[in-house]
Amino acid sequence: MPRLDPVTLELVWTRLVSAVDEAAKAIVRTSFSTLSNEANDFACVLTDAEGRSLAQNTGSIPSFIGTLPGTVRALRDAIPPASMQPGDVYITNNPWIGTGHLNDISIVRPIFREGRVAGYAATTSHVPDIGGRIRSTEARELFEEGFHIPPMRLMRDGVVDQTLLTLLRTNVRTPDQTEGDVWAQVGAVSLIDDRVRRTMDSYRLDGLEAVADEIFDRSEAEMRRRIAGVPDGCWRYVMQTDGLDAPFTFAVEVRIAGGEAHVDFTGTSPQQPRAVNCVFAYTRAMTVFTLKALLLPEVPNNEGIFRAIHIHAPEGSILNPRWPAAVGGRAATGHYVPVLIFGALAEALPDKVRAAPGSPLWIMNIAGTDPAGRSFANVFFFNGGTGAGAAQDGVDCISWPSNISATPIEVAERTAPVLIHHKRLRPESGGAGHQRGGAGQETVIECESDDVAAVFVTERIRFGAPGLFGGGAGAPGAVLLDGVPADTRRQQTLAKGTRVTIATPGGGGFGGS
Amino acid sequence: MAATYSLGIDIGGTFTDIVAFDPLSGRAFIWKESTTPDDPARGVMAGIARLLGAHGIAPAQIGRVVHATTLFTNALIERKGARTGLITTAGFRDVLEIGRERKYELYDIFIEMPRPLVPRPWRREVPERLASDGTIVTPLDVAACVAEAGALVAEGVESLAIVFLHAYANPVHERTAAEAIAARFPSLSISLSSDIAPEIREYPRASTAVANAYVRPLSEIYLQRLEQEIAAAGIPGSLHLMLSNGGLTHVDEAKRAPVQLLESGPAAGALAGAWFGRNAGLERVLAFDMGGTTAKLALVDDGQPLVAWGFEAARERRFLRGSGLPIQIATVELIEIGAGGGSIARRSELSTLHVGPDSAGAQPGPACYARGGTEATVTDADLALGCLNADFFLGGAMAIDAPAAEAAVGRLAAALAVEPARAASGIQDVVNETMAGAARVAIAERGRVPHEYALMATGGAAPVHAWGVARKLGIRRVVCPPGAGAGSTIGMLMAPARVDRVASLNLPFAEADMAAIEETFARLENEAAPLVAATGADLARRDTRWLADMRYIGQGSEVTVAMPRPLSPEAVRAAFEAEYRRLFGRTPPGAAIQFVALRLSLSAPVPGAEGRLDLAAASGGTMLKGSRPVHFAEAGGMVGTPVYDRYALPPGFAAEGPAVFEENESTFVVGPGARIALLPDGSLVADMPEAT
Repeated sequence: MPRLDPVTLELVWTRLVSAVDEAAKAIVRTSFSTLSNEANDFACVLTDAEGRSLAQNTGSIPSFIGTLPGTVRALRDAIPPASMQPGDVYITNNPWIGTGHLNDISIVRPIFREGRVAGYAATTSHVPDIGGRIRSTEARELFEEGFHIPPMRLMRDGVVDQTLLTLLRTNVRTPDQTEGDVWAQVGAVSLIDDRVRRTMDSYRLDGLEAVADEIFDRSEAEMRRRIAGVPDGCWRYVMQTDGLDAPFTFAVEVRIAGGEAHVDFTGTSPQQPRAVNCVFAYTRAMTVFTLKALLLPEVPNNEGIFRAIHIHAPEGSILNPRWPAAVGGRAATGHYVPVLIFGALAEALPDKVRAAPGSPLWIMNIAGTDPAGRSFANVFFFNGGTGAGAAQDGVDCISWPSNISATPIEVAERTAPVLIHHKRLRPESGGAGHQRGGAGQETVIECESDDVAAVFVTERIRFGAPGLFGGGAGAPGAVLLDGVPADTRRQQTLAKGTRVTIATPGGGGFGGS
Repeated sequence: MAATYSLGIDIGGTFTDIVAFDPLSGRAFIWKESTTPDDPARGVMAGIARLLGAHGIAPAQIGRVVHATTLFTNALIERKGARTGLITTAGFRDVLEIGRERKYELYDIFIEMPRPLVPRPWRREVPERLASDGTIVTPLDVAACVAEAGALVAEGVESLAIVFLHAYANPVHERTAAEAIAARFPSLSISLSSDIAPEIREYPRASTAVANAYVRPLSEIYLQRLEQEIAAAGIPGSLHLMLSNGGLTHVDEAKRAPVQLLESGPAAGALAGAWFGRNAGLERVLAFDMGGTTAKLALVDDGQPLVAWGFEAARERRFLRGSGLPIQIATVELIEIGAGGGSIARRSELSTLHVGPDSAGAQPGPACYARGGTEATVTDADLALGCLNADFFLGGAMAIDAPAAEAAVGRLAAALAVEPARAASGIQDVVNETMAGAARVAIAERGRVPHEYALMATGGAAPVHAWGVARKLGIRRVVCPPGAGAGSTIGMLMAPARVDRVASLNLPFAEADMAAIEETFARLENEAAPLVAATGADLARRDTRWLADMRYIGQGSEVTVAMPRPLSPEAVRAAFEAEYRRLFGRTPPGAAIQFVALRLSLSAPVPGAEGRLDLAAASGGTMLKGSRPVHFAEAGGMVGTPVYDRYALPPGFAAEGPAVFEENESTFVVGPGARIALLPDGSLVADMPEAT
């Protein structure tokens, strides 16, 4: 096939992105969990026939954008494309090939052109519940963490696999909502399939390869040029974090040479018999997100950008655990990856990096029975402040590196038996420096029902977010139950009247004050 | 002397458009006056005097005045509103600053979030608390309210917003606080969240109430002054204001809740599209306005512009959703895109062709303006493609440097390593694709398909691009009304009086009492009717719409459903499920439904706002001016195309495309094979040939 000219390429690419954006709108409006529709904890991606990412919805979160193409590739390995038919829909939530934990269900639909697979429409979304322990870090193995769906076919010829659906419904606490969210995703991949086939019709394309190759080659060349602009060398950074009984060590070496970046996490703590392990797919997603944000933010995400990036995390470490490690709280671990890379590249790119954010996402899951006898399961998100940059203070209370909004107080109080006493900034929590870190927030939540299970995902309670170039660390966070510090690595039981204080950490400062 | 004329005034950033319209004869006269930003009323009054003088209309003949303005939006963007304070529930003064905790751009490491309109020291807390069902958990401390308000007044605060948690469910604490504060500080302007935006979700509700407080003192002074000036000029007609929802209201309501006026100018543009669409007998219209910097799209169904129940003001980045201040006010739904005649075409980082959102604006402008612009713009490409006539730009009033446009396009072509002709057609194609993409997403969001719509082109550049955009969308019919430049002002004159009211109703469907819902609608209608009547509208011909925001329990966003009358559980469920299926294709199995809010929409025609428009009297000159080659993508290149003088088209004119119609403000370009007809109101309609 002849190479596409730069005008046609732009036209087709624009249309493919709008197809994926259309699908994202459909998910937001049809999904049931507050995760998808209020917190945007989902993504839509289009890949070529090889499972290489071509387009993703504007505004989706970095981790999913990074992992979803890998999910498609793993699915192709498990289910030969030759056995696929038009209209098929596939499903999985395997953490190693998915997003790193069971709660995200991925849906994939092959897009056919003239009898063969031309590409894949893929979505992933955090369902309200997947069974198992409620996202507890106490799980020692994956088997404790919920219902596991290996790569499987969900639909053929418009007929859904009722056995799979019945098993799924039986194993989760919120069968209607979880199934509803699966249907929201099925609608989205079907929409992408339709729009992409129309695009191929409009531009008389017999597949997506020509477009994909052009996008990848051009993106790769530009990314190599940007990497070549970073001073060659080996840049290292080591950081300690809260860990479990003992702190964790995170280590990275970023080697810049010949227009390529080699990122190596050797020296990072070994995997743990707790749900804090971050699968390699997630580690990789956070790594490429960081390098792209630093070096080539203006080009839409695609596989070509990542070809010049090589990543190694030692097998058996918390950044590359072996099956069947428990992985439920992988975000808190994986969200340190950008901080490590910023720290390593600070000397090389002082004007581009930022000090550490206080905001690996904080989460509180609660589940139980409300005073009226209805069972409930809710998840609340909390964000800390971001780190300061060379010429800018950190931002207060904002999701970073993820992009998950907090649930509105009025919605939280309506959907769960809680009364929120305050939600306010912690003005002094940003790290001091020439530029200050962003502030965290403090929220006090009173439980209005007895015997409520509460599980937390927290970080930076022992170690605040470090500053850069002499900037101070951000204030550490805290979780208190009726004023007493709680062990957030263990499930807690809340009684009626228990007050939970959640104070998120501030970001690190930049430069001496 | 009969006061038959209506006067329309639209204050924009550069020009104040003024239209005098006689509904009896259909005659309309248009005048453009430079906007006087330091005192906008001055430019308005000068323009009115010139327009009336030029056409021999006496002030006493003006029966009513309709006004749209971007002043309040600009006050938000430029942060030039009142010194505003906030009183809120103890523990929650930072809600306004913390916002959604979400980035509007993922990869921008140096992202800036919008600053709150009220700084932290002026956000004060008082003891009070309601539960989510509106019951009182902690009684209001009235003395604390008065004390905090006093402290704010002492610091120079002029306007106050009161926002309590769950006030959408029960306004009692907000009202009690307001009464006590008003008694003590009668000159302090007070805005309540339960009054301005009684909807669940504390951040957008607070943002809306605060924005109202922020622009309210400005609106009181400005509207009072304009009203006085109009009276002093001897104009007997009363002043009406265009609302963001596409309806009219009277001055007192505008002063109470000026946040309703933020999008009044663009709403008027959408109304014009709706009005011309009705004239052309079209049920569904995609109103497409494209100027120098931006393009705006609005969907019009059944003659009514679609209304969204919220929008964003004062965005950090104009075209990025999530970067502005949320405003929960009924607003004609507009999609704004960084695509206009001045949009600059460049080689992207990946050596593809990018067009916009950067614009050369009016200064330096496109390369062909010869004002120093050297980069190729959309207008330069349009010129190179034969769509525009260098000798008849703005009716020949503006000299155009065609070689400069060609040179600019040539430089870009060399940078991209393509032929100049491909660069020129590519610029047009890419900017059309960008606009079509935005339209596609917006139409899909509503479960519609583009080919159900006709494209209505207004503004300087839309008639040039409408044909290409329609082809990309699969739209079969393109309409170009006359007098493209003054469309929005005309739309305003045709607007009905309209009031939208909302009441929160968080209730499972199974527990809903239809009689109680009917009572709520009746209460909302009783609130709305006097406001509509006060505009002079004809309540006997009112159009009352009962709507409900509903969803499946657990979902986070709602579907707005027209309620069947009379209400019955079966009919309501059927209406919801039908609307849900229309939007999303299927209903989920076994899920329960809930109400979230009830909405009342009341509109009634205003006397003088009907009748036909007579702008396009045939000039009697030569209809066919000549012909020139024009590029059409479907023909794969340039095609010899007849050029018509639009003012000289006789009644009943019909032709086959390709064709170009020139008028002073714009050029309507129609592709090969189109069937073209001139409608009695002066609109040109072009239908696609069957084969494309």
